[in-house]
Amino acid sequence: MVAFRSHEPAGRSSGLLLRSVLYTLLALGLIVLDKRYDQLGKIRRALSVVAYPLELGVASPFRGWAWLRQSVTTRDTLRAENARLRAKLLDERYRLQRYAALEAENAELRGLRTSTAGVETRPLVADIMDVDIDAFRERVLIDKGAADGVRVGQAVLDAHGVFGQVESVGERTSDLLMLSDATSAIPVMINRTGLRTIAVGTGDLGRLKLPYLPTTADVVKGDLLVTSGLGSVYPEGYPVGTVVDVKIDTVRSLADVDVRTAAKLDSSRELLIVRSKPRPPAPPAPTPPATGANGSTPATPAKHRPATPAKHR
Amino acid sequence: MNRDRPVPRMPVLLSALVALTLAIVPLPGVVDRLRPDFLVLVVYYWSIEAPSAGGLTLAFVAGLAIDVSRGVVLGEHALALTLTAAWAMHLRLRIRVFSIPKQALTIFGLLATYQFILFWIDGATGYPVTDWSRWLGPFIGAAIWPLVVATLRRLHER
Repeated sequence: MVAFRSHEPAGRSSGLLLRSVLYTLLALGLIVLDKRYDQLGKIRRALSVVAYPLELGVASPFRGWAWLRQSVTTRDTLRAENARLRAKLLDERYRLQRYAALEAENAELRGLRTSTAGVETRPLVADIMDVDIDAFRERVLIDKGAADGVRVGQAVLDAHGVFGQVESVGERTSDLLMLSDATSAIPVMINRTGLRTIAVGTGDLGRLKLPYLPTTADVVKGDLLVTSGLGSVYPEGYPVGTVVDVKIDTVRSLADVDVRTAAKLDSSRELLIVRSKPRPPAPPAPTPPATGANGSTPATPAKHRPATPAKHR
Repeated sequence: MNRDRPVPRMPVLLSALVALTLAIVPLPGVVDRLRPDFLVLVVYYWSIEAPSAGGLTLAFVAGLAIDVSRGVVLGEHALALTLTAAWAMHLRLRIRVFSIPKQALTIFGLLATYQFILFWIDGATGYPVTDWSRWLGPFIGAAIWPLVVATLRRLHER
């Protein structure tokens, strides 16, 4: 930098031209390296370390405010909240009892099919940082990074369903790609029928589409979509969203299905990062005798239902 | 002879840092899309007013900072910002004698070029952002240019 200053003759542009060509080539080189050869993970991580204090500085007033608000809540509010949480805990305990039994049953069934459950038991909890990344893309920054064991491609859930996946990892922070980003796609299964398809993001927060369903597919408003576990990014059986609108135009061959995400993409603060275990390449399981499914549609019916208790409405 | 006044580095770095902070402060959805590219404007200002203080290195590093903070392909904003800042530097002696509205018009041109290069790289790397609101950037940037000039001028002229 110092060298540039002393060498630059004022008002002459030959140096300027030379340097702009140099920097342009450098930038183009970076783009090609990053995009084509995926070689810049380390550099990106190093740069993210430099950016971390700044991000922390921006996020901390918001955290401070949340902390302050929390510490000045009145006794009554706390008491009411405590009572509510206790009631909720009881309810969840009750559900958990059933869950244990279901899990055991599920493990047994899976044992029969010689495949393993998709999720490790210890997810990592992360907070969304109050930092805006990009106005045009549905991304958020979280406060866990490579140092905490986050890796690119891990699935992220919130309390209500699938949130997205880890897109790039810094040392102490990571970028998440939310489900509704226009470049996001997730393999799903309609819980009621077992029909598998792919839900893609729309670029509109909290909205997905099912663009690959034929007009003859059995999908109605209110259907719950769960992850199908294909593609081995998202673990199997977690709620993705509910169908809010089905437009069937008989002239066209594909249905137009709108989905609202189960995860609260706009308001969730705490997220779970799940480490999906790679599945052992199991031999294709023999199909069980047909259960009266719609075998004529291009998407084959799933061979089994997910373990989570399905919420029909 | 030397028409580029020497400016100490401190205000340059400081203003760039403040601009970068403003670029990532969380804003509600609609306002977020209207957020001016502060760092880009700051880089243009220093390119025009004092190219020796930051120069293309500042433009390149600032672009890289935007790339990292947005998590896009490395070099995208660096390329767009370097090219347009070089253009601004090339024209700086003319831009400096422009009236403020005329300057804002020039900035509009620079920002539109900047945005177009980004649009092009976005498409070439496979993440096209076709949202119309991205083209608001040049208008907003040109609109707040007088404010940027007024603020930054205080930093080095007293």
